[in-house]
Amino acid sequence: MKGTLIGFALIIIIGVLVPFTAGNFAIRLATDIVIFAILASSWNIIGGYTGYASFGNIVFFGVGAYATAVLMSKAGLGFYPALILSGLIAGLYGFAIGFPILRLKGHYFAIATLGLAEATKALVQNLGLTEGNSGMYLPMPEMGIDASYMFFYFNALGILLILLVIMYFILNTKLGYGFVAIREDEDAADSIGINTTIFKSISFGLSGLFTGMAGSVYAYQQGFIKPEPVFIVTKTVKMIVMAVFGGVGSLFGPVIGAVSIELIANYLSEHFLVIHTIFFGTIIILAVIFAPKGIMDIITARKKIGLSYFLENIRKNRV
Amino acid sequence: MAERKVVLEGKELTKDFKGLRANENVSFKLFESEILGLIGPNGAGKTTLVNMISGALSITSGDVIYNGRSIKGLKPYQIGRLGLIRTYQIVKPFPGMSVLENISVGAMFGSKDKVYNSKESKEKAEEIAVFVGLSDLKNQRADQLNIASKKRLEIAKALAARPKVVLFDEVMAGLNPKEIDSAVHLIKKIRDTGISIIVIEHVMRAIKAISDRIFVLHHGVKIAEGEPDDVLNDEEVIKAYLGKRYKQLVS
Repeated sequence: MKGTLIGFALIIIIGVLVPFTAGNFAIRLATDIVIFAILASSWNIIGGYTGYASFGNIVFFGVGAYATAVLMSKAGLGFYPALILSGLIAGLYGFAIGFPILRLKGHYFAIATLGLAEATKALVQNLGLTEGNSGMYLPMPEMGIDASYMFFYFNALGILLILLVIMYFILNTKLGYGFVAIREDEDAADSIGINTTIFKSISFGLSGLFTGMAGSVYAYQQGFIKPEPVFIVTKTVKMIVMAVFGGVGSLFGPVIGAVSIELIANYLSEHFLVIHTIFFGTIIILAVIFAPKGIMDIITARKKIGLSYFLENIRKNRV
Repeated sequence: MAERKVVLEGKELTKDFKGLRANENVSFKLFESEILGLIGPNGAGKTTLVNMISGALSITSGDVIYNGRSIKGLKPYQIGRLGLIRTYQIVKPFPGMSVLENISVGAMFGSKDKVYNSKESKEKAEEIAVFVGLSDLKNQRADQLNIASKKRLEIAKALAARPKVVLFDEVMAGLNPKEIDSAVHLIKKIRDTGISIIVIEHVMRAIKAISDRIFVLHHGVKIAEGEPDDVLNDEEVIKAYLGKRYKQLVS
């Protein structure tokens, strides 16, 4: 409880201070980080709390981005109605598609979600409404350059905070306990009276809702979107790595993961232009070996830190 | 014995796994506030029977009547919502949750007769933790418990779900004699609250102490049913399950 309040306070204070102490380049980087924090936190709903490792969450990002493009440039909606509708469309998509594919578990579920993302991309590439492979333009925001940097940053930050607050409350309700019960033992959850099908689909839908909103902000920020970059698989990989690096199944873990991974990646690519991915990969491998439960675990279990903590982690996760 | 209400009835239940017939025409009745013991050698089809009743396995033929209605074909969670709760032979606590959270999940979901919100569920869980004797361990993570406490947690979780009928699948296996005694005591205490219970068990000491009636499965077929003393002295039961030495031991 106390830790949660500190977490929220830190995010708000740091989040609000950053844009007033840094230039536009830093604000742009911070916006990317916050968007990734939304993606990783959304993935955490289905992958972390409910225990279904989705490898296709980028599909909701793409759906959100394209929904916004269509709603703004074809239906003439303003940004905020488009943002909310895009979130809902992506969320409903996740909820509905959850019924068939959440019957699968483990690797099979992962592959199905991967297929879902690719199939949806193909659909977008071939529909007249989305103008196929040539991409879509969105209306330009009617504000100055500096103001628009602030605009996108604070919208992203707002979505992240709403997501975290909603998840905080959900975790203390039946819905949240249901998610975790399904992750911990689905058969036991089923026989105690939890309608696992509905719960899993709601989880996937929530994940889709916020991922879709992130896609919406991204689309408006870019001003022009194409199917390939908004449905790119590597972004799914990145959100998973961030969530795992920060700590799956914890509220702030994915946020910490997104911030640290982006900052590390940024630092490395500035200083070691050619071989930065080698360092980056090494850091990920070390993190997964020594702190498989993520940075969040190191923070909350600080008493245990030391060689014995790392050795215990290695022993636990050894095959 | 006066006319007692039947709460759960199996009617000629049969389960085929491809060519293998795991249960054949198994019929039984469970009366209100009764403890019915189910015994049989390994592979006799005891857990298969429980799986059919609880909806985890489809029923090849036959029917299950619960409180006067057929529950055949319902999903496990629907059967759980009706107040028919089972435990698992290989314990299935929610490992990453605390003992109290585990019990709370049972209270939050479970039978739909009385629905608790999440706050009431936690209060209910505290009560049940005291009832089953887990209150000292309530903040422990479930995966850190020893086997006796894990089995106890399974009982607590089932109890929190406000069942009318509970199927205990080997909740005493792997316990030492002292732990068995306290588990027997606990299960009787649960029965005294008006819950009907089917107990699957290998521990003869426990099954004798606990059961009002016993029925025996062998190769998927019911070979005996009745009062514990009669059943345990039945020639066929001794041959199939207890072994000759049991008779010598008893006498």
